[in-house]
Amino acid sequence: MPRMTARERREAYQREYQFQKKTGKPFFPYAVLHDTITSLVVVALIMGLTILWHSGFGPAPTEAGGERPGGFLGPAYEAQADPGTASYDPRPEWYFFFLFQLLRIFSTPELLLFGTIIVPTMLMVLMLAWPFLDRGPERRVSRRPVSMALAIGTPIVLLALTWSGSQAPAVGGAASGHAGAALFADTGLGCASCHTLKDAGASGTVGPVLDTLNPDYKTALDFITNGKAGTAMQSYKAKGATADQIACVASYVAAWANGGAKAASVDQAKYAAACKAAGADGTTK
Amino acid sequence: MAPPIPSPKELAQIPVDWIEERSGLVSGHKYLLFRNVPKDISWLQTLGSGLITTFLIQATTGVLLAMYYQPTPDGAFSSIQYITDTATLGWMIRGMHKWGSTMFVILLFLHMGRVFLMGSYKYPREMTWVTGAVLFLMVMFMSLTGYLLVFDQRAYWASVVAININGSAPILGPFIAEFLKVGPEFSQHTLSRFYSLHMLAVPGGIMAFIGLHLWLVIRLGVSSPPWSKHRAKAGEV
Repeated sequence: MPRMTARERREAYQREYQFQKKTGKPFFPYAVLHDTITSLVVVALIMGLTILWHSGFGPAPTEAGGERPGGFLGPAYEAQADPGTASYDPRPEWYFFFLFQLLRIFSTPELLLFGTIIVPTMLMVLMLAWPFLDRGPERRVSRRPVSMALAIGTPIVLLALTWSGSQAPAVGGAASGHAGAALFADTGLGCASCHTLKDAGASGTVGPVLDTLNPDYKTALDFITNGKAGTAMQSYKAKGATADQIACVASYVAAWANGGAKAASVDQAKYAAACKAAGADGTTK
Repeated sequence: MAPPIPSPKELAQIPVDWIEERSGLVSGHKYLLFRNVPKDISWLQTLGSGLITTFLIQATTGVLLAMYYQPTPDGAFSSIQYITDTATLGWMIRGMHKWGSTMFVILLFLHMGRVFLMGSYKYPREMTWVTGAVLFLMVMFMSLTGYLLVFDQRAYWASVVAININGSAPILGPFIAEFLKVGPEFSQHTLSRFYSLHMLAVPGGIMAFIGLHLWLVIRLGVSSPPWSKHRAKAGEV
Protein backbone atom coordinates (compact mmCIF):
# COMPACT_ATOMS: atom_id res chain seq x y z
CA MET A 1 0.00 0.00 0.00
CA PRO A 2 1.51 3.37 -0.98
CA ARG A 3 2.14 6.04 1.62
CA MET A 4 -0.62 8.58 1.92
CA THR A 5 -0.50 12.29 2.52
CA ALA A 6 -2.09 13.53 5.74
CA ARG A 7 -5.03 14.78 3.76
CA GLU A 8 -5.58 11.50 1.90
CA ARG A 9 -5.39 9.66 5.18
CA ARG A 10 -7.98 11.91 6.80
CA GLU A 11 -10.31 11.62 3.83
CA ALA A 12 -9.95 7.87 3.68
CA TYR A 13 -10.84 7.64 7.37
CA GLN A 14 -13.85 9.90 6.96
CA ARG A 15 -15.07 7.90 3.97
CA GLU A 16 -14.71 4.71 5.97
CA TYR A 17 -16.45 6.29 8.98
CA GLN A 18 -19.43 7.43 6.90
CA PHE A 19 -19.63 4.04 5.20
CA GLN A 20 -19.64 2.12 8.49
CA LYS A 21 -22.19 4.47 10.05
CA LYS A 22 -24.43 4.11 7.00
CA THR A 23 -24.22 0.35 6.56
CA GLY A 24 -23.55 -0.74 10.15
CA LYS A 25 -25.78 -2.38 12.72
CA PRO A 26 -27.04 -0.60 15.83
CA PHE A 27 -24.94 -1.12 18.96
CA PHE A 28 -28.13 -2.15 20.75
CA PRO A 29 -29.13 -4.95 20.54
CA TYR A 30 -26.46 -6.58 18.31
CA ALA A 31 -23.14 -5.63 19.91
CA VAL A 32 -24.77 -5.48 23.35
CA LEU A 33 -25.87 -9.10 22.99
CA HIS A 34 -22.33 -10.30 22.23
CA ASP A 35 -20.86 -8.10 24.96
CA THR A 36 -23.33 -9.42 27.51
CA ILE A 37 -22.58 -13.04 26.65
CA THR A 38 -18.81 -12.45 26.90
CA SER A 39 -19.30 -10.68 30.23
CA LEU A 40 -21.39 -13.55 31.56
CA VAL A 41 -18.71 -16.03 30.50
CA VAL A 42 -16.09 -13.93 32.28
CA VAL A 43 -18.19 -13.80 35.47
CA ALA A 44 -18.80 -17.55 35.24
CA LEU A 45 -15.07 -18.26 34.83
CA ILE A 46 -14.16 -16.10 37.81
CA MET A 47 -16.84 -17.68 39.99
CA GLY A 48 -15.91 -21.14 38.75
CA LEU A 49 -12.24 -20.64 39.64
CA THR A 50 -13.29 -19.30 43.05
CA ILE A 51 -15.50 -22.31 43.76
CA LEU A 52 -12.78 -24.74 42.61
CA TRP A 53 -10.25 -22.93 44.77
CA HIS A 54 -12.62 -23.04 47.75
CA SER A 55 -13.46 -26.72 47.28
CA GLY A 56 -9.80 -27.58 47.88
CA PHE A 57 -9.58 -25.77 51.24
CA GLY A 58 -8.35 -27.74 54.21
CA PRO A 59 -9.55 -27.08 57.75
CA ALA A 60 -9.06 -23.60 59.20
CA PRO A 61 -6.02 -23.40 61.48
CA THR A 62 -6.53 -23.65 65.21
CA GLU A 63 -3.49 -21.63 66.25
CA ALA A 64 -3.24 -17.88 65.56
CA GLY A 65 -1.34 -16.96 62.40
CA GLY A 66 -1.50 -20.50 60.99
CA GLU A 67 -1.93 -21.42 57.35
CA ARG A 68 -4.99 -22.91 55.71
CA PRO A 69 -3.98 -25.36 52.98
CA GLY A 70 -5.78 -25.73 49.67
CA GLY A 71 -5.90 -27.87 46.57
CA PHE A 72 -4.20 -27.43 43.20
CA LEU A 73 -5.34 -23.81 42.95
CA GLY A 74 -3.28 -22.90 45.99
CA PRO A 75 -3.89 -22.43 49.70
CA ALA A 76 -6.59 -20.20 51.18
CA TYR A 77 -3.71 -18.37 52.79
CA GLU A 78 -0.23 -19.25 53.99
CA ALA A 79 1.00 -18.62 57.52
CA GLN A 80 1.04 -15.02 58.72
CA ALA A 81 3.85 -12.87 57.33
CA ASP A 82 6.97 -13.19 59.45
CA PRO A 83 9.81 -10.80 58.60
CA GLY A 84 12.13 -12.94 60.71
CA THR A 85 12.01 -16.00 58.44
CA ALA A 86 15.31 -16.62 56.70
CA SER A 87 14.44 -19.61 54.59
CA TYR A 88 11.23 -18.63 52.82
CA ASP A 89 11.26 -19.00 49.04
CA PRO A 90 9.87 -15.71 47.77
CA ARG A 91 8.03 -15.76 44.48
CA PRO A 92 6.03 -13.07 42.74
CA GLU A 93 2.48 -13.52 41.45
CA TRP A 94 2.46 -15.51 38.20
CA TYR A 95 2.10 -12.53 35.90
CA PHE A 96 5.38 -11.15 37.16
CA PHE A 97 7.22 -14.43 36.52
CA PHE A 98 8.55 -13.12 33.21
CA LEU A 99 10.20 -10.13 34.94
CA PHE A 100 11.46 -12.42 37.68
CA GLN A 101 13.00 -14.67 35.03
CA LEU A 102 14.54 -11.71 33.19
CA LEU A 103 16.31 -10.84 36.42
CA ARG A 104 17.60 -14.38 36.72
CA ILE A 105 19.00 -14.19 33.18
CA PHE A 106 20.62 -10.79 33.71
CA SER A 107 21.82 -11.66 37.16
CA THR A 108 25.53 -10.82 37.15
CA PRO A 109 26.17 -7.40 38.66
CA GLU A 110 27.26 -5.97 35.29
CA LEU A 111 24.06 -7.09 33.58
CA LEU A 112 21.65 -6.43 36.44
CA LEU A 113 20.99 -2.98 35.03
CA PHE A 114 19.60 -4.64 31.89
CA GLY A 115 17.20 -6.84 33.80
CA THR A 116 15.91 -4.24 36.22
CA ILE A 117 15.76 -1.14 34.06
CA ILE A 118 16.84 -1.27 30.46
CA VAL A 119 14.76 -4.19 29.18
CA PRO A 120 11.54 -3.37 31.09
CA THR A 121 11.81 0.33 30.21
CA MET A 122 12.40 -0.46 26.56
CA LEU A 123 9.38 -2.76 26.51
CA MET A 124 7.26 -0.11 28.21
CA VAL A 125 8.33 2.66 25.82
CA LEU A 126 7.88 0.35 22.84
CA MET A 127 4.35 -0.43 23.96
CA LEU A 128 3.40 3.21 24.54
CA ALA A 129 5.03 4.46 21.34
CA TRP A 130 4.00 1.61 19.06
CA PRO A 131 1.28 3.46 17.07
CA PHE A 132 3.79 6.23 16.34
CA LEU A 133 6.41 3.75 15.10
CA ASP A 134 4.08 1.71 12.89
CA ARG A 135 2.31 4.42 10.92
CA GLY A 136 1.66 2.80 7.57
CA PRO A 137 -1.96 2.55 6.48
CA GLU A 138 -1.78 -1.23 5.98
CA ARG A 139 -3.84 -3.06 8.61
CA ARG A 140 -3.68 -6.67 7.42
CA VAL A 141 -1.14 -8.42 9.61
CA SER A 142 -0.08 -10.68 6.73
CA ARG A 143 1.36 -7.60 5.04
CA ARG A 144 3.00 -6.18 8.17
CA PRO A 145 6.08 -8.43 8.59
CA VAL A 146 7.47 -6.63 11.66
CA SER A 147 4.10 -6.73 13.41
CA MET A 148 3.69 -10.35 12.42
CA ALA A 149 7.08 -11.22 13.92
CA LEU A 150 6.20 -9.35 17.11
CA ALA A 151 2.76 -10.93 17.29
CA ILE A 152 4.27 -14.41 17.10
CA GLY A 153 7.47 -13.72 19.03
CA THR A 154 6.12 -11.77 22.02
CA PRO A 155 3.68 -14.43 23.28
CA ILE A 156 6.30 -17.17 22.79
CA VAL A 157 8.98 -15.24 24.67
CA LEU A 158 6.52 -14.20 27.42
CA LEU A 159 5.19 -17.73 27.83
CA ALA A 160 8.71 -19.19 27.85
CA LEU A 161 9.90 -16.66 30.45
CA THR A 162 6.76 -17.21 32.54
CA TRP A 163 7.22 -20.97 32.37
CA SER A 164 10.90 -20.96 33.28
CA GLY A 165 10.22 -18.33 35.94
CA SER A 166 7.66 -20.64 37.52
CA GLN A 167 10.16 -23.52 37.45
CA ALA A 168 13.02 -21.46 38.89
CA PRO A 169 14.77 -23.01 41.86
CA ALA A 170 14.18 -21.49 45.24
CA VAL A 171 15.77 -18.13 45.84
CA GLY A 172 16.13 -18.43 49.58
CA GLY A 173 14.63 -21.86 50.06
CA ALA A 174 17.88 -23.53 50.97
CA ALA A 175 17.64 -26.85 52.78
CA SER A 176 19.90 -25.44 55.48
CA GLY A 177 17.51 -22.56 56.21
CA HIS A 178 20.63 -20.44 56.62
CA ALA A 179 20.04 -16.72 56.13
CA GLY A 180 23.22 -16.55 54.06
CA ALA A 181 21.54 -18.61 51.34
CA ALA A 182 19.40 -15.64 50.38
CA LEU A 183 22.49 -13.40 50.22
CA PHE A 184 24.14 -16.02 48.04
CA ALA A 185 21.24 -15.89 45.57
CA ASP A 186 20.70 -13.58 42.63
CA THR A 187 18.53 -11.21 44.61
CA GLY A 188 21.30 -10.86 47.18
CA LEU A 189 24.98 -10.48 46.30
CA GLY A 190 24.60 -12.61 43.19
CA CYS A 191 27.16 -15.37 44.02
CA ALA A 192 24.76 -17.91 42.51
CA SER A 193 25.21 -16.59 39.00
CA CYS A 194 28.89 -17.72 38.97
CA HIS A 195 29.13 -20.48 41.56
CA THR A 196 27.46 -23.83 42.01
CA LEU A 197 26.29 -24.57 45.54
CA LYS A 198 23.71 -27.25 45.90
CA ASP A 199 22.18 -26.08 49.14
CA ALA A 200 21.39 -22.66 47.67
CA GLY A 201 19.99 -24.20 44.48
CA ALA A 202 22.79 -22.37 42.63
CA SER A 203 24.28 -23.72 39.42
CA GLY A 204 26.59 -20.98 38.10
CA THR A 205 29.55 -22.17 36.02
CA VAL A 206 31.82 -19.11 35.83
CA GLY A 207 33.65 -19.72 39.09
CA PRO A 208 34.66 -22.91 40.90
CA VAL A 209 32.04 -25.32 42.21
CA LEU A 210 31.91 -24.48 45.90
CA ASP A 211 30.66 -27.93 46.85
CA THR A 212 33.97 -29.28 45.52
CA LEU A 213 36.21 -26.44 46.62
CA ASN A 214 34.76 -26.60 50.12
CA PRO A 215 36.51 -23.50 51.54
CA ASP A 216 36.81 -22.78 55.24
CA TYR A 217 35.41 -19.59 56.77
CA LYS A 218 38.68 -17.65 56.63
CA THR A 219 39.31 -18.40 52.94
CA ALA A 220 35.74 -17.60 51.98
CA LEU A 221 35.84 -14.35 53.94
CA ASP A 222 39.13 -13.34 52.32
CA PHE A 223 37.99 -14.10 48.75
CA ILE A 224 34.62 -12.40 49.13
CA THR A 225 36.13 -9.36 50.81
CA ASN A 226 39.16 -8.86 48.58
CA GLY A 227 38.42 -10.87 45.45
CA LYS A 228 41.09 -13.02 43.86
CA ALA A 229 43.58 -11.44 41.49
CA GLY A 230 43.73 -12.97 38.03
CA THR A 231 40.21 -14.47 38.24
CA ALA A 232 36.71 -13.16 37.72
CA MET A 233 36.19 -13.11 41.50
CA GLN A 234 35.85 -9.48 42.48
CA SER A 235 36.11 -7.71 45.80
CA TYR A 236 32.61 -7.47 47.19
CA LYS A 237 33.86 -4.99 49.72
CA ALA A 238 34.77 -2.69 46.86
CA LYS A 239 31.37 -3.40 45.31
CA GLY A 240 29.63 -2.04 48.38
CA ALA A 241 28.70 -5.15 50.36
CA THR A 242 28.74 -4.52 54.12
CA ALA A 243 31.06 -6.39 56.48
CA ASP A 244 28.00 -8.09 58.00
CA GLN A 245 26.78 -9.31 54.64
CA ILE A 246 30.20 -10.72 53.81
CA ALA A 247 30.58 -12.42 57.18
CA CYS A 248 27.11 -13.91 56.89
CA VAL A 249 27.56 -15.31 53.41
CA ALA A 250 31.09 -16.56 54.21
CA SER A 251 29.79 -18.45 57.23
CA TYR A 252 27.10 -19.92 55.03
CA VAL A 253 29.50 -21.09 52.33
CA ALA A 254 31.91 -22.50 54.89
CA ALA A 255 29.17 -24.48 56.61
CA TRP A 256 27.02 -25.59 53.69
CA ALA A 257 29.32 -26.20 50.74
CA ASN A 258 29.42 -29.96 50.09
CA GLY A 259 25.91 -30.47 51.43
CA GLY A 260 26.61 -29.30 54.97
CA ALA A 261 29.13 -32.07 55.70
CA LYS A 262 31.06 -29.78 58.00
CA ALA A 263 28.21 -27.55 59.14
CA ALA A 264 29.00 -28.40 62.73
CA SER A 265 32.56 -27.12 62.39
CA VAL A 266 31.32 -23.56 61.86
CA ASP A 267 30.06 -21.83 64.97
CA GLN A 268 26.85 -20.37 63.54
CA ALA A 269 25.90 -18.55 66.73
CA LYS A 270 28.98 -16.44 66.18
CA TYR A 271 27.74 -15.18 62.83
CA ALA A 272 24.02 -15.00 63.58
CA ALA A 273 24.34 -11.34 64.55
CA ALA A 274 26.05 -10.55 61.25
CA CYS A 275 23.27 -12.25 59.33
CA LYS A 276 20.68 -10.38 61.30
CA ALA A 277 22.42 -7.06 60.69
CA ALA A 278 22.76 -7.92 57.00
CA GLY A 279 18.98 -8.04 56.81
CA ALA A 280 17.07 -11.13 57.75
CA ASP A 281 15.48 -11.33 54.32
CA GLY A 282 18.94 -11.48 52.80
CA THR A 283 17.78 -9.52 49.80
CA THR A 284 19.22 -6.18 50.89
CA LYS A 285 21.66 -5.01 48.29
CA MET B 1 -61.06 25.64 31.59
CA ALA B 2 -59.02 22.96 33.33
CA PRO B 3 -56.06 21.57 31.41
CA PRO B 4 -56.67 18.13 29.88
CA ILE B 5 -55.84 15.19 32.13
CA PRO B 6 -52.57 13.65 30.90
CA SER B 7 -52.59 9.98 29.95
CA PRO B 8 -50.31 7.60 31.92
CA LYS B 9 -47.90 7.56 29.00
CA GLU B 10 -47.65 11.35 29.03
CA LEU B 11 -47.24 11.29 32.81
CA ALA B 12 -44.30 8.92 32.51
CA GLN B 13 -42.75 11.21 29.91
CA ILE B 14 -42.68 14.20 32.28
CA PRO B 15 -39.60 13.23 34.37
CA VAL B 16 -37.79 12.05 31.22
CA ASP B 17 -38.38 15.40 29.55
CA TRP B 18 -37.35 17.20 32.71
CA ILE B 19 -33.99 15.41 32.75
CA GLU B 20 -33.47 15.78 28.99
CA GLU B 21 -34.16 19.50 29.08
CA ARG B 22 -31.61 20.07 31.83
CA SER B 23 -28.83 17.63 30.87
CA GLY B 24 -29.29 16.16 27.39
CA LEU B 25 -28.62 12.78 29.00
CA VAL B 26 -31.62 11.07 27.42
CA SER B 27 -30.72 11.83 23.82
CA GLY B 28 -27.05 11.24 24.64
CA HIS B 29 -27.85 7.80 25.94
CA LYS B 30 -30.04 7.10 22.91
CA TYR B 31 -27.08 8.02 20.71
CA LEU B 32 -24.82 5.63 22.65
CA LEU B 33 -27.23 2.72 22.39
CA PHE B 34 -28.41 3.13 18.83
CA ARG B 35 -25.25 4.41 17.11
CA ASN B 36 -24.24 2.13 14.30
CA VAL B 37 -21.19 -0.09 14.63
CA PRO B 38 -19.57 -1.92 11.70
CA LYS B 39 -21.67 -4.78 10.41
CA ASP B 40 -18.92 -7.38 10.63
CA ILE B 41 -17.63 -6.95 14.17
CA SER B 42 -18.21 -9.93 16.38
CA TRP B 43 -16.82 -11.87 19.35
CA LEU B 44 -13.25 -10.63 19.05
CA GLN B 45 -14.47 -7.09 19.70
CA THR B 46 -16.14 -8.04 23.00
CA LEU B 47 -12.94 -8.48 25.01
CA GLY B 48 -13.00 -4.84 26.04
CA SER B 49 -16.45 -5.16 27.57
CA GLY B 50 -15.22 -8.33 29.32
CA LEU B 51 -12.53 -6.13 30.85
CA ILE B 52 -15.07 -3.56 32.02
CA THR B 53 -17.09 -6.35 33.62
CA THR B 54 -13.95 -7.60 35.37
CA PHE B 55 -13.20 -4.09 36.57
CA LEU B 56 -16.73 -3.81 37.99
CA ILE B 57 -16.28 -7.14 39.77
CA GLN B 58 -12.96 -5.97 41.22
CA ALA B 59 -14.51 -2.66 42.32
CA THR B 60 -17.55 -4.28 43.95
CA THR B 61 -15.70 -7.09 45.70
CA GLY B 62 -12.96 -4.61 46.63
CA VAL B 63 -15.47 -2.33 48.39
CA LEU B 64 -16.92 -5.33 50.24
CA LEU B 65 -13.45 -6.53 51.28
CA ALA B 66 -12.57 -3.04 52.53
CA MET B 67 -15.50 -3.26 54.96
CA TYR B 68 -13.71 -6.04 56.84
CA TYR B 69 -10.04 -5.58 56.01
CA GLN B 70 -7.66 -3.93 58.49
CA PRO B 71 -4.52 -2.48 56.91
CA THR B 72 -2.26 -2.95 59.95
CA PRO B 73 0.47 -5.57 60.42
CA ASP B 74 -1.41 -7.01 63.42
CA GLY B 75 -4.88 -6.83 61.93
CA ALA B 76 -4.34 -7.61 58.24
CA PHE B 77 -3.79 -11.34 58.44
CA SER B 78 -6.50 -12.00 61.01
CA SER B 79 -9.00 -9.93 59.03
CA ILE B 80 -8.14 -12.00 55.94
CA GLN B 81 -8.71 -15.12 58.04
CA TYR B 82 -12.02 -13.75 59.22
CA ILE B 83 -13.12 -12.96 55.67
CA THR B 84 -12.06 -16.38 54.35
CA ASP B 85 -13.14 -18.61 57.23
CA THR B 86 -15.99 -16.92 59.07
CA ALA B 87 -17.81 -14.17 57.21
CA THR B 88 -20.84 -15.33 55.21
CA LEU B 89 -19.66 -15.97 51.63
CA GLY B 90 -16.48 -14.09 52.52
CA TRP B 91 -14.44 -16.73 50.69
CA MET B 92 -16.52 -16.03 47.59
CA ILE B 93 -15.89 -12.27 47.75
CA ARG B 94 -12.17 -12.68 48.37
CA GLY B 95 -11.91 -15.49 45.82
CA MET B 96 -13.62 -13.46 43.13
CA HIS B 97 -11.28 -10.54 43.82
CA LYS B 98 -8.25 -12.86 43.69
CA TRP B 99 -9.26 -14.75 40.55
CA GLY B 100 -10.72 -11.60 39.03
CA SER B 101 -7.24 -10.09 39.06
CA THR B 102 -5.87 -13.09 37.18
CA MET B 103 -8.70 -12.86 34.66
CA PHE B 104 -8.04 -9.13 34.32
CA VAL B 105 -4.43 -9.69 33.26
CA ILE B 106 -5.32 -12.50 30.83
CA LEU B 107 -8.09 -10.46 29.20
CA LEU B 108 -5.78 -7.46 28.96
CA PHE B 109 -3.27 -9.49 26.97
CA LEU B 110 -5.99 -10.92 24.71
CA HIS B 111 -7.60 -7.51 24.11
CA MET B 112 -4.24 -5.96 23.35
CA GLY B 113 -3.34 -8.84 21.03
CA ARG B 114 -6.60 -8.41 19.11
CA VAL B 115 -6.05 -4.67 18.64
CA PHE B 116 -2.45 -5.31 17.61
CA LEU B 117 -3.26 -8.03 15.07
CA MET B 118 -6.05 -6.04 13.45
CA GLY B 119 -3.95 -2.89 13.32
CA SER B 120 -6.77 -1.08 15.07
CA TYR B 121 -4.31 1.30 16.74
CA LYS B 122 -3.55 3.03 13.45
CA TYR B 123 -4.62 6.55 12.48
CA PRO B 124 -6.68 8.09 13.98
CA ARG B 125 -6.80 5.71 16.95
CA GLU B 126 -3.26 6.17 18.32
CA MET B 127 -4.50 7.82 21.51
CA THR B 128 -6.93 5.00 22.15
CA TRP B 129 -3.95 2.63 22.18
CA VAL B 130 -1.88 4.90 24.44
CA THR B 131 -4.69 5.25 26.99
CA GLY B 132 -5.06 1.45 26.87
CA ALA B 133 -1.33 0.98 27.44
CA VAL B 134 -1.51 3.29 30.47
CA LEU B 135 -4.44 1.21 31.76
CA PHE B 136 -2.30 -1.91 31.30
CA LEU B 137 0.50 -0.42 33.42
CA MET B 138 -1.94 0.71 36.10
CA VAL B 139 -3.50 -2.75 36.30
CA MET B 140 -0.04 -4.31 36.71
CA PHE B 141 0.64 -1.83 39.52
CA MET B 142 -2.68 -2.82 41.09
CA SER B 143 -1.67 -6.46 41.17
CA LEU B 144 1.67 -5.55 42.69
CA THR B 145 0.14 -3.47 45.50
CA GLY B 146 -2.78 -5.86 46.05
CA TYR B 147 -0.54 -8.86 46.46
CA LEU B 148 0.95 -7.63 49.75
CA LEU B 149 -2.42 -7.00 51.42
CA VAL B 150 -3.16 -10.66 52.20
CA PHE B 151 -0.12 -10.39 54.46
CA ASP B 152 0.72 -14.07 54.58
CA GLN B 153 4.25 -15.34 54.01
CA ARG B 154 3.90 -15.50 50.24
CA ALA B 155 2.47 -11.99 50.01
CA TYR B 156 5.11 -10.48 52.26
CA TRP B 157 8.14 -12.07 50.65
CA ALA B 158 6.97 -11.50 47.10
CA SER B 159 6.59 -7.81 47.94
CA VAL B 160 10.02 -7.67 49.58
CA VAL B 161 11.53 -9.14 46.41
CA ALA B 162 9.57 -6.78 44.15
CA ILE B 163 10.61 -3.72 46.13
CA ASN B 164 14.24 -4.80 46.27
CA ILE B 165 14.23 -5.34 42.50
CA ASN B 166 13.00 -1.76 42.22
CA GLY B 167 15.63 -0.58 44.64
CA SER B 168 18.45 -2.10 42.61
CA ALA B 169 17.64 0.13 39.64
CA PRO B 170 20.00 3.08 39.24
CA ILE B 171 19.26 6.72 40.09
CA LEU B 172 15.52 6.64 40.81
CA GLY B 173 15.38 3.02 42.01
CA PRO B 174 16.29 3.62 45.66
CA PHE B 175 13.89 6.55 45.86
CA ILE B 176 10.98 4.54 44.46
CA ALA B 177 11.82 1.69 46.81
CA GLU B 178 11.93 4.07 49.77
CA PHE B 179 8.68 5.68 48.68
CA LEU B 180 6.95 2.29 48.52
CA LYS B 181 8.45 1.08 51.78
CA VAL B 182 7.94 4.45 53.51
CA GLY B 183 11.52 4.63 54.70
CA PRO B 184 14.56 2.38 54.45
CA GLU B 185 12.84 -0.67 55.95
CA PHE B 186 9.58 -2.50 55.53
CA SER B 187 7.26 -1.26 58.30
CA GLN B 188 3.61 -0.93 59.24
CA HIS B 189 3.47 2.17 57.05
CA THR B 190 4.36 0.07 54.00
CA LEU B 191 1.13 -1.86 54.35
CA SER B 192 -1.06 1.22 54.74
CA ARG B 193 0.69 2.93 51.83
CA PHE B 194 0.08 -0.07 49.57
CA TYR B 195 -3.52 -0.18 50.79
CA SER B 196 -4.11 3.48 50.02
CA LEU B 197 -2.54 3.22 46.56
CA HIS B 198 -4.43 0.01 45.85
CA MET B 199 -7.89 1.13 46.88
CA LEU B 200 -7.90 4.91 46.39
CA ALA B 201 -5.26 6.36 44.10
CA VAL B 202 -4.83 3.83 41.30
CA PRO B 203 -8.53 2.85 40.96
CA GLY B 204 -9.32 6.54 40.48
CA GLY B 205 -6.76 6.69 37.69
CA ILE B 206 -8.12 3.51 36.14
CA MET B 207 -11.67 4.85 36.12
CA ALA B 208 -10.54 8.12 34.53
CA PHE B 209 -8.62 6.29 31.82
CA ILE B 210 -11.45 3.82 31.14
CA GLY B 211 -13.69 6.86 30.60
CA LEU B 212 -11.19 8.45 28.23
CA HIS B 213 -10.59 5.17 26.41
CA LEU B 214 -14.33 4.59 25.87
CA TRP B 215 -14.94 8.16 24.81
CA LEU B 216 -12.29 7.77 22.12
CA VAL B 217 -13.74 4.43 20.97
CA ILE B 218 -17.21 5.97 20.61
CA ARG B 219 -16.00 9.17 19.00
CA LEU B 220 -13.78 7.50 16.40
CA GLY B 221 -16.06 4.53 15.79
CA VAL B 222 -15.21 0.87 16.26
CA SER B 223 -12.79 -0.27 13.57
CA SER B 224 -14.00 -3.07 11.36
CA PRO B 225 -11.68 -6.02 10.71
CA PRO B 226 -9.02 -5.36 8.06
CA TRP B 227 -10.21 -8.41 6.11
CA SER B 228 -13.79 -7.14 6.05
CA LYS B 229 -15.65 -8.70 3.09
CA HIS B 230 -18.55 -6.36 3.67
CA ARG B 231 -16.34 -3.37 3.02
CA ALA B 232 -14.64 -4.97 0.02
CA LYS B 233 -18.01 -5.76 -1.53
CA ALA B 234 -19.06 -2.15 -1.23
CA GLY B 235 -15.92 -1.18 -3.12
CA GLU B 236 -14.58 0.87 -0.21
CA VAL B 237 -10.97 1.23 0.92
